[in-house]
Amino acid sequence: MAKPFHFYTEQGIVYYSGYKADNLRSLLTGLRGVPSSSIFYHLYHSLLRRHFTTTDYMNDFAQWVWGVLWQKTLGEKLASFDPLEFTRLRDARARLIEIVDAYVGETEYFLRVSEEQAFYFLCIKSFVYPLGVQVSTLPELMQAIQIISPHSLFYHLIESRLRLREPSNDLSDWLKTELDMPDLAVTINAFSPYEYNLEELRNKIMAAIQDAIK
Amino acid sequence: MPSSNNKHHLKDYAPIVTAGVINEIEELARLLGPAKIVNVNSTKEGGGVAEILGWFIPILEDLGMTVEWKVITGNTEFFTITKKFHNALHGQPEEFTQEMFDSYLDNVGKNAPPIPDDADFVVIHDPQPVAMIAQYPNRSNRWAWRCHIDLSEADLRVWGFLRPFVERYDGAVFHLPQYTKNLMSPQFILPPAIDPLAPKNEELTDDEVTAILYRLGVPRDKRIILQVARFDRLKDPFGAIRAFKLVRSWYDCRLILAGGSATDDPEGQAVLAEITDMAGDDPDIHILNLPPDSHREINALQRAAAVVIQNSRREGFGLTVTEAMWKAKPVVGTDIGGIRHQIIHGTSGFLIHSVEGLAYRIRQLFGNPEMARRFGIQAREYVRNNLLVPHHIRRWLLVFHSLKQKGNDDLITLPPHEITE
Repeated sequence: MAKPFHFYTEQGIVYYSGYKADNLRSLLTGLRGVPSSSIFYHLYHSLLRRHFTTTDYMNDFAQWVWGVLWQKTLGEKLASFDPLEFTRLRDARARLIEIVDAYVGETEYFLRVSEEQAFYFLCIKSFVYPLGVQVSTLPELMQAIQIISPHSLFYHLIESRLRLREPSNDLSDWLKTELDMPDLAVTINAFSPYEYNLEELRNKIMAAIQDAIK
Repeated sequence: MPSSNNKHHLKDYAPIVTAGVINEIEELARLLGPAKIVNVNSTKEGGGVAEILGWFIPILEDLGMTVEWKVITGNTEFFTITKKFHNALHGQPEEFTQEMFDSYLDNVGKNAPPIPDDADFVVIHDPQPVAMIAQYPNRSNRWAWRCHIDLSEADLRVWGFLRPFVERYDGAVFHLPQYTKNLMSPQFILPPAIDPLAPKNEELTDDEVTAILYRLGVPRDKRIILQVARFDRLKDPFGAIRAFKLVRSWYDCRLILAGGSATDDPEGQAVLAEITDMAGDDPDIHILNLPPDSHREINALQRAAAVVIQNSRREGFGLTVTEAMWKAKPVVGTDIGGIRHQIIHGTSGFLIHSVEGLAYRIRQLFGNPEMARRFGIQAREYVRNNLLVPHHIRRWLLVFHSLKQKGNDDLITLPPHEITE
């Protein structure tokens, strides 16, 4: 009998870290010094916040560097940065610092912006809790996916990789290890949050499960 | 206790934000337990704070909390002083004397409502009651100061006077990061929200909109540019009129400036007189001084508008922008404060920096109705995902959880739900 999959959600309240940046140098200082929940908020959580709308850049750093500092080259490098390649926040932070540091090293003049346009490093206090929804079969999974919130989808598809330090999301892991469905696991793990918003991801997962049930 | 107008339960919002979102909020409340929460502000009606508390409190009660809403009273002198605080905290020049600061403290000492010992959480709204905390040096409950205004250019004397009181709170809550200050206690970022089921935001038929506008004396024969705001210099209605006249040289249209005064806002009448004089006999400019409960009228005006503008010089958050976005209207607003955090420039509206810019973007929307329609759809979706009542409730529950928490961890696992067969 397969162990059931328990659905969780993550709900966060945002607070100010005390760091802010008004040019590239202070951005670099902030990247080095802020708590890891700030890196999480601006790099990963931005995917949740913007999932329903089309904007040019999906993470907060890229948006600020491009849209406020007008550093288009660095903005593009930061936009192409994929946080989902990393299973540890410290590694994602190190790579971010590497990108910005290299650019700062090659730049002679740094535009400084006003306080109102500064980049405020925000942190997030995340509360993770079970929803009381558990599934053991594909039809049950289908029903659950239909009703869970975007936050729960985000937690399982994106955030679980960080929390569990695994390259694949925990739902795909469960499909592979408990239901012996490696193909469905790979299919779901491959759905990109950059290509689809969370509602579209939900629909694609349901379609994939429906195909597997057939 | 001031009465609230909301007759809705959290579950009533499920068709709008989905049942999954509602279930999560209910679970968050269950994990907090049956807390007693006391809110204190300065006025029963008029203004955004009273409007928010009107729906906030019944829903928290629905979730099992015990909630009280108390109001700090005062004479005309007290509210004149606190209005000056409000202006000065927004960066406007104001004169103060030591007697005024003493008078403020004296009034708070005499008129602050008592806080029961068994309250778990106390939420103090804006500067009027902020000094109340000094009366409870041995408290065991958790106090949060909720700031609804823009402190980024606060007058140093006034902030210097209020800050020692704010520092005593267990946490401060701001709309935006730009409004935070150097404080030792946590500064939570919590934008306000609108109620999609309230008379101000509920769906209206086109016939209902027409009937309400007819009653207000506004024809629907031309495209309408609308600004909804208190008659206050910080909302720059004068600039709105100048921009309208520029647009009218290109497109035949009307401008509506709809506003009123909150009970704690003494200078609104003077501004109203000035803009009435500026508008003169122009038949295409309508200045509507509406009573505080004109929710359906505002709703109808927003739905009738082709473009909604917010030409504020200072804006705490801009819930009138949120309301217009919820009605799928393209909004053109100044690139400040909460407006720039709501409008995604070029995607759900435009952010401008001048009267000429305001006119230019209105013309652009008039000239491209398909773009205006797309902007409106994106605007509504942004509000649906972020700025409605359920999201506000969720964020406050998280603040309460945070205030209750021991330690400073940023990742907290809450106790598991008992799974019943």
